[in-house]
Amino acid sequence: MRSQCISKLILVFAVALSACGGCAVSKWTVKPHQRELLADRIMQLDADAQERAAEEHILSNREGAVGGTGTSGGGCGCN
Amino acid sequence: MQLRLRAPLLAAGLAVVGAASARAENPTEVSSRLTLFREPSSQNKGITVLHPQVDANAPIAGGLGIAAGWEADAVSGATPAISGPHTGVDAITRATEFHDNREMVHGGFTYERPDAGIGASYAYGWENDYRSHSISATTHDDLYDHNFTLALAYTHNWDSVCDANNSVAQSPLALIPLTSSTHCFNSSATDVVTHRLNIDAIEPSLSWTMTPRLVIQGGGTIQLLDGFQSNPYRSVLVGSQHQEPQEHEPLYRQRYAVFGRAVYAFPQWRASTLTMLRLYQDSWAMQAATADLVVNKYITQSALLSLRGHYHLQSGASFYRDGEGYRTKGPAGQYWTGDRELSPMSNYLIGGRLAFLRKPRQERSSWFVEMEADVKYELLLYQLDSVNAPNYDRTYAHIVQGSFAMRF
Repeated sequence: MRSQCISKLILVFAVALSACGGCAVSKWTVKPHQRELLADRIMQLDADAQERAAEEHILSNREGAVGGTGTSGGGCGCN
Repeated sequence: MQLRLRAPLLAAGLAVVGAASARAENPTEVSSRLTLFREPSSQNKGITVLHPQVDANAPIAGGLGIAAGWEADAVSGATPAISGPHTGVDAITRATEFHDNREMVHGGFTYERPDAGIGASYAYGWENDYRSHSISATTHDDLYDHNFTLALAYTHNWDSVCDANNSVAQSPLALIPLTSSTHCFNSSATDVVTHRLNIDAIEPSLSWTMTPRLVIQGGGTIQLLDGFQSNPYRSVLVGSQHQEPQEHEPLYRQRYAVFGRAVYAFPQWRASTLTMLRLYQDSWAMQAATADLVVNKYITQSALLSLRGHYHLQSGASFYRDGEGYRTKGPAGQYWTGDRELSPMSNYLIGGRLAFLRKPRQERSSWFVEMEADVKYELLLYQLDSVNAPNYDRTYAHIVQGSFAMRF
């Protein structure tokens, strides 16, 4: 039952990624003057690396899955 | 070994580089954090972990930055030395009390250019029965006027695990557990041995600034583990003849995860939402799905409230059985485990964080750029699929955290 549920989630995830990829053709450029909101800390995918490390330290010891939580160095492209 | 160094080292290694990378253009930062993890038990003392962290990073010159840090775990509590059924005539209620400490130091550098950057870090962790050396390297490149960021991270661990000397064991069923770490890493000791565990992890990701309000990121993780991965202290009750061999897990594991994340701004409310979905599969036949939702909102000019929900669902490893299954049916193949992480289960986490930010007014000169103090509370709820699953006596955990950071 769990395996079926997870397989369906994988399918939904793949479709969503494909849809997002299609959008890239039409509009993919955000101008520098439009980045005011993106510069705010609440728009950072990893605003606090130390907090993230603490979270992963706790959850990786209590869940069977690991990784896939984002790569530091990626981000909003504000720099 | 109670602390399971290997996974945290990966995260910490990446975080070190990330910390400096994300703030390469920012001032020097010093931050400290203290986390209390309390997992009560209905049958014994449960587990208490105190986790302090101190990190610092600073730009040097010409895009070069350095980072360093220290963290520790002070763990105390009680845990069953034998994994078996919690109910019935063979119920296992005896628990062993323990105290253990882990420490880790790490350091790294970053080199940032306007459109790209690289970083590298090293970490060394040690406890009585576990040693770990880890190197990490990251790179990122901004594309199409900073609308896309392509990033890649790689980590390698050289870990050493202390174990009882089982060289005379004729079969896995004759393996005996480690009872004490007193002689660990002592070359003259004959009652213990040191096993190797090598871990390689690679994590690519692509971030896309889709609109002035929306950033998305997708990527994946491949992790390969080669070496001793069992808990050397743990025994598992196997078969109706009451054999209690040491936990016996495969030496090789391939782990794969893909993820997507999105952060969306609600400027009219001074708020944002961060969503994450992760799908996971490994060579031990485990599958998992994890979802996260974080809502951030400024409640005043200098107070930021964050609410978080987290859900994790996983199937069990192919060789997993609960305590009653191992007792009545014996092992599923040649391996057996008493690890809750390898059982079919789900987790819920809910909580919130309040951050206080202090910035000096622009017209005044000040010796700092920003000061931040955070407090956080989270409740972690476990849902196991059997009353005889490992750690069934622990159904929830409290996570309390406080932090303080200064940017100069």
